[in-house]
Amino acid sequence: MITRIEVTPKYPQFPDTEGTGVLSNIHDLGITSVKNVRVVKIFKLEGKFSSPAIHRLTSELLVESIWQDYAINVSVIPEKNVSVIEISRRPGVMDTEIDSILKAISDMGITGVTMVGTGKKYILYGKVSKKNLEIITYKLLVNKTVEHVMKKPEKTLVVGSSRTPTQKVKIRRMTEDELLKLTANRLWLDLSEMKAIQDYFRKGRRDPTDVEIETIAQTWSEHCGHKTFNASLVINGKQKPSLMSRLKEATRKVSRSWCLSVFKDNAGVIVFDKEFAICGKVETHNSPSAIEPYGGAMTGSGGVFRDIAGCGLGAKVIVSTDIFCFAPPDLPEKEVPVGCLHPRRLLKEVVRGVKDYGNRMGIPTNNGSIHFHADWRAKPTVIVGAYGILPRKFVNKKKLKRGDLIITVGGKTGRDGIHGATFSSGSMTDTTESVSSSAVQIGNAIEEKRMFDALLACRDTGLIKYAQDCGGGGYSSAIGEIAEEYGARVQLDQIPVKYPGLASWELWISESQERMIVVIEPRDKKKFIQKCKDYNVAATVLGKITNTKRLELKYDKQIECDLSLDFLHNGCPTTHKLGTYKRKKIPEPSFKEPANYTQLLKKILAHGDICSKEPIVRKYDHEVQGTSAFKPFSGPYRDAPGDASVITPLLGKRRGMAVSHGMIPLYNKIDPYWGSASAIDEAVRNLVSVGVDPEKIALIDNFIWPTPDEVSLGDLDRSVDACVDTASAFGMPFVSGKDSLSSTYVGSDGKIIKIPPTLCISAFAPVLDVYKTVSSYLKSPDNHVFIIGETKQELGGSAYYSLKNNLGNTVPRLNAKKALDAYKKIHRAIAEGAIRSCHDCSEGGMGVSMAEMCFGSYGADIDLLKVPLDGFSSKRADYILFSESNSRFLVEVPAKKKALFKKIMGTATYGEIGWVTPERRLKIRNGKKILIDVSVNELKKAWKEPMQKIFG
Amino acid sequence: MKPKVAILQTDGINCDHELAFAFEKAGGKVEWIHVNQLFSRTKKLLHYQILALPGGFSYGDDILSGKILANELLNKLGSVVEQFISQDTLLIGVCNGFQTLVRMGYLPWRMKPAEDVSLVFNDSGSFQCRWIRLRISDSACVFTRGLVDQIFELPVAHGEGKLITRNKFIQNRILKNHHAVVQYVDQKGLVTYRFPDNPNGSSYAIAGLTDETGRIFGLMPHPERNILPHQHPEWQTENFKHVSCLPIFKNAIAYFS
Repeated sequence: MITRIEVTPKYPQFPDTEGTGVLSNIHDLGITSVKNVRVVKIFKLEGKFSSPAIHRLTSELLVESIWQDYAINVSVIPEKNVSVIEISRRPGVMDTEIDSILKAISDMGITGVTMVGTGKKYILYGKVSKKNLEIITYKLLVNKTVEHVMKKPEKTLVVGSSRTPTQKVKIRRMTEDELLKLTANRLWLDLSEMKAIQDYFRKGRRDPTDVEIETIAQTWSEHCGHKTFNASLVINGKQKPSLMSRLKEATRKVSRSWCLSVFKDNAGVIVFDKEFAICGKVETHNSPSAIEPYGGAMTGSGGVFRDIAGCGLGAKVIVSTDIFCFAPPDLPEKEVPVGCLHPRRLLKEVVRGVKDYGNRMGIPTNNGSIHFHADWRAKPTVIVGAYGILPRKFVNKKKLKRGDLIITVGGKTGRDGIHGATFSSGSMTDTTESVSSSAVQIGNAIEEKRMFDALLACRDTGLIKYAQDCGGGGYSSAIGEIAEEYGARVQLDQIPVKYPGLASWELWISESQERMIVVIEPRDKKKFIQKCKDYNVAATVLGKITNTKRLELKYDKQIECDLSLDFLHNGCPTTHKLGTYKRKKIPEPSFKEPANYTQLLKKILAHGDICSKEPIVRKYDHEVQGTSAFKPFSGPYRDAPGDASVITPLLGKRRGMAVSHGMIPLYNKIDPYWGSASAIDEAVRNLVSVGVDPEKIALIDNFIWPTPDEVSLGDLDRSVDACVDTASAFGMPFVSGKDSLSSTYVGSDGKIIKIPPTLCISAFAPVLDVYKTVSSYLKSPDNHVFIIGETKQELGGSAYYSLKNNLGNTVPRLNAKKALDAYKKIHRAIAEGAIRSCHDCSEGGMGVSMAEMCFGSYGADIDLLKVPLDGFSSKRADYILFSESNSRFLVEVPAKKKALFKKIMGTATYGEIGWVTPERRLKIRNGKKILIDVSVNELKKAWKEPMQKIFG
Repeated sequence: MKPKVAILQTDGINCDHELAFAFEKAGGKVEWIHVNQLFSRTKKLLHYQILALPGGFSYGDDILSGKILANELLNKLGSVVEQFISQDTLLIGVCNGFQTLVRMGYLPWRMKPAEDVSLVFNDSGSFQCRWIRLRISDSACVFTRGLVDQIFELPVAHGEGKLITRNKFIQNRILKNHHAVVQYVDQKGLVTYRFPDNPNGSSYAIAGLTDETGRIFGLMPHPERNILPHQHPEWQTENFKHVSCLPIFKNAIAYFS
């Protein structure tokens, strides 16, 4: 029997904050007939237990009578003349609260409760039409992927089914059509790959099991195998080395002795100080986030954190970053493609996912950005990064030997996340939302946090030989990778499950979250398992390392997989890809010089990519761990934006770590070469601005691209060329990277929507002494303001052009050699105190940059005539102010340090353009003509308004 | 001898390192204790002078913040904690630790869980991470001795920090009997209900409570995150004078010397 307990705030004495939030979202949908919303939480207890037990549970655990009402087996709020929507998670979709409630009931010594469930009821007051109720239910309250509307109460809360036995797949006799049928919507492999599998089994004179087929498909998926990046290429008729080999070669040539581990582990590792190393990894989670943004963002964060936890013998996660691209939040509903979610909902839900996972983990979310463009209306881009610290002695994984134990640590395995790796390798269609629902799951940050605590304790006591994250492809990918050089024998029936009934192939490729694989010495088994138990973490031996170079999987005594690891890892036919590139000629817009510059500056400050994201940032805990030295917002009003995040990971030590990123997708639409070079320059500029030594910067690349047809591949090739050229010229290695090449949407009418080719460059570096850094807000009146770098007439892809939906052709270019020379000088000038504040010029050009520097206590007065220009055909003030030329900075120089500053800058291009004023006003003049004279607060208001409107 | 500080650890607690750092810097000898070690009696609470409950999301804040941990401590370790407090010891809870102490019924005075006060969802409806100002009121609290009327800046980072009381009578008792040790104030130093200076809409802008002995102290904001100058959002400003929250921890250590 199931007992239902409904709980809700005592209203109106105490506010129903959740109900108020839902009400405002309903009004946002344009449905104003709803006057009030109440939210009721439902606890469901299954089993046999006494009424005193129920009484204790309600009075001590589930209800706080001071502010909550409750009712047992009846409605807590009278349901007359209202609309009621009750929802709960779909059976099998994890609800983290259930475990906690079961634990609490057991702590109280209450027995007889066999299972627990939760649910929510929304009560809507006011008239709502059936159609509107449907809209509210599915656009706001329910995500069909993981939740459903309850029409009648459940009979049982226990999930489970009987197990589908392992089956043979009669591949040897299949025709090409049959092979294609087998791969469609399940394996996502192409015909040549299917034929390679067929050949392998024909030679072996047997048919494979479904476990073997799924294992191969997972290993060869684009998501795990990076086939495009390893493909042999012909671009514009010319043979070229693979993209991956070019990137790796660039890093090798840069040859930095402080690189400790690059491209081979779960994260790239560099030197922090004599004793410690820092590592970084950046991932995308676009496909899951497109259909279930809350769960997608959560599991994206969870996955990248595990990459850090599985770096070397294990690192502590100290920074999290997130970078998103959506369609504009005010996109008309009718422009949202079929099967896709509205960008406003995506934005809110992705933010909620990042917040709930990162905050619960206690990992500060210190750096990020959000970009908006209509081309992301079908599939958003969700990038999540993480950085960690570990003692240098733990940087390398140990050699394994036969008999070492393979152990799974952390969460149990369920049917969630089946086919995640293969699904995210395919293009999105209008049926993806319903077909791929099992590929999405909800994360449990607490499970992951305690697992990390346990693993770090095990690492420090020398118990770990190898640590590996279970991400895309689950155990299949994790154990398959560990075993590559050796061989492994695994007992599938030993895998701890959430509920019975999983087939062998499901156990093996499930992407259930919060699991890691660790390899240990057999003699450490007891110690290791106990240490995990001390932290409430489950650790189970699944199998052993062998020396057979085969992957052997058994269920009970049945052998269900016996594959050559050489075939698994090297048997996938090399992909051959053709690409073409032709530089597009995009017309340069021509329009009159604007009359009102103040109005224009305010408009640009309110641009989606530039406006303040403070309401979002405040939802993320960026102070946890106590390490934050450069926060997302600082200054006297706590709202001045920074360039890079700086933390001091070892509390009490002055050594820091700086993290930044750069990404300007619109430039890539014009020219992926210069767009990509610009992304690198932006990431580097952000670090240089705070005082980082440019000789110590490591880079991470993330290519988020449309599915690579010939044209997109041509673009990708050109982007990689730019990465190689720029990194080489800067002397900065790529230490890690990832590609996600499936951001194309195909509608049922054949309509294709591609995202702009997106390169996200993340950069990180150690900071010798955090007290020798500078932030971006102005520090003292009468100090001088300089601009460093040349301003060119480069407005292609600029925020200014995009105000009127123009793209333009004049994309900013980069002279890396010249830039690097200036960066070294800026570093010296900051270290020697000649620069008191520094801000780079990026989206919105020097106009936006100067405005943002005034968001402290002081204003500025600058003259555009003093700005060093190069190659202007028309020296119009709007072009100068809003050009987005690379490698430029605005800096504040104290009068006393002016000579020192000039001496250090030497031959680098710079110009003295004005001074800091005590009044909080921004004055910009062009010689004698005053273009802008406006109060800082007015600018701030324009800059803050857009996100306040969405997030309140 | 340095006073021994026990930093309590369990699933989802995540502000333990900065809290340990603050106590160490104040002169304490810090040790981590996992609740499991208390159950298995491999560590004994009575060996410590200070018990500190750090912030975080103990057990995911399921049901309500701090609820599962409070339930666990009450039902499985009730007498041990009781015995610990009955000696001349100190107990502090920050953020989730404060929520736990309230739900255990230790603050503002001994009560059955959540009978008189509770900490509920912020009025803003959302988690808030931002720096706020606190003013310290006159009270028996050991942690704030000699700091009365001083204003400290420090971050809050919580979604359930709004203090509510059962009725006016309870509210008056809290104020009259000096349980409200710390209150949110605005730039002028005045108690405020206005967001964001008051980040959650707390009754009488109460940010933290002490019991009648002054040996139990809990607060929503994080004093352990403002110990060093560079933790402050304005440390780069010209002639910046840092006011550290370290004295709060030093007071605790000094209590035992």
